[in-house]
Amino acid sequence: MVAPARAPLRTDRLRAVNEPRTVTVELHESGLMTVGRPDGRTVGNVEAILESWRIDDEWWRQPISRSYLELLLEGGKRVVVFQDLMTGLWFMQQP
Amino acid sequence: MSRRPTSSLAACVWIPLFPLRCEEARHEGLSAYPTALLAPDTTRKLWQVSSLARHAGVKPGMTVSQAIGLCPTLRLIEPDPVHYDEQFAALLSALSEVSPVVEPSELGLVYVGVDGLAGIFGSATQILAVLRQTVRQSDRPTVRLGWGFGKFVAWVAASRSKPDEAVIVPAGAERKFLASQPIAVLPLDTDIHRRLRQLNIRTLGALAALPEAAVTAQFGDVGKHLWRLAAGRIAEPVEGRVTLEPIVAALTFFTPVGERELLVHSLEQLIARALNHPRRIGWRVHAVRLRADLEGAAGGSWLASILLKDPTADGDRIAAPLKVRLEQSPPTGAVERLVLEFTAFAPGTAELQLFARDTAAAARAGQQRALRHAAREVRMRVKAGRGGRATLYHVIEVQPWSRLPERRYALIDYEP
Repeated sequence: MVAPARAPLRTDRLRAVNEPRTVTVELHESGLMTVGRPDGRTVGNVEAILESWRIDDEWWRQPISRSYLELLLEGGKRVVVFQDLMTGLWFMQQP
Repeated sequence: MSRRPTSSLAACVWIPLFPLRCEEARHEGLSAYPTALLAPDTTRKLWQVSSLARHAGVKPGMTVSQAIGLCPTLRLIEPDPVHYDEQFAALLSALSEVSPVVEPSELGLVYVGVDGLAGIFGSATQILAVLRQTVRQSDRPTVRLGWGFGKFVAWVAASRSKPDEAVIVPAGAERKFLASQPIAVLPLDTDIHRRLRQLNIRTLGALAALPEAAVTAQFGDVGKHLWRLAAGRIAEPVEGRVTLEPIVAALTFFTPVGERELLVHSLEQLIARALNHPRRIGWRVHAVRLRADLEGAAGGSWLASILLKDPTADGDRIAAPLKVRLEQSPPTGAVERLVLEFTAFAPGTAELQLFARDTAAAARAGQQRALRHAAREVRMRVKAGRGGRATLYHVIEVQPWSRLPERRYALIDYEP
């Protein structure tokens, strides 16, 4: 039997950690704010906004502008989301 | 360094409660009383307990007050580890007269390689009788002897034997013999022992009946080793001790030296040089010889031989008795050449790291070793549990100062 080929280790190749993941953030008429995944599943309803901050960087090449929110979801889970102010898209990320 | 002699066929010589037996041997009549040895590290707890004390409910690990409460006539003894080491060294030396392949395991437990001894002493029974005769007379009523292929089988056989009756496991009968033995004969930690009992695995046969991969997935590398022992797949040979060749350092003076201070200074230089010899690393010095060639046509020499009670790798401790000798009975003439020899060694211990020239390097090497072991363990468990390839990653800092979280760290394939 031939042993399965084993991909060689790539000790020179970096893999990204903590890349932003796309989410949807919706604000309903009732005032309820919901965070969801792109496939339609709900991450959770927002109970409170704990903190907000903004990052503006790299204006000299591809400008980056983000508005971060730390949210407390129903059930006690804490998540950090940000809106890319250049594209309007929402993402989730560990701070 | 010479190669370690080995032997596949093993005899196990086990003297249970060896330190307690040493105390009974030097205190006449002690065995008639319930006795307990105090722990060497903390004198508030008991280390070893005689059978009389055990009958009264006293157990190792109990506090002194608990034990006295259960057995008011209990005799407590302060431990004397140096004496036990000396007695054990004497036992090893005596067994070395029977076989050149002797491997100490722990105090009171020795494996003797018996390959080829049949031509000298006869059958297995006769060889075991010779071994019994070799141990100290006071230990003969308690020594347990086992015989088998590989150390583990010999150990299990010894643990099953009676004081006056050795257990011999014939070649080819190992698996059958092991199958009925309790799992307690395995080198288990308490956690694995408890988990095996929860799984209702009580004998080596029951453990060996499980698939090897399943045991490995549950218990990792240790589990794999245990399974192989239980299934009789491993027969570790007895490995004899290596005898090192002497390490020699010499100094020839430009002009003969008579001043004691200069000789002492030279001695310290020679000790430092000999300690730094690559062959010495990992060994403590047990015996030292200092030789001086004296000036003059008639020549003459001076010699001091020292046997260190506690083998050491500390230059000051090696020098001290030689300095005393130089002080009390110095050479009778001026010295032309001074020769220092380390002639006997004892295996190094963890303390050696204290004397290593680069303790930080030793610590780093230890961490790397631990990391490699942990990585191998994780890989093995993932592979056995899920199948397929298991890759480990190393988290590295890329731009830890970055305000963008995804820029700070990255993963890289990790091969320790």
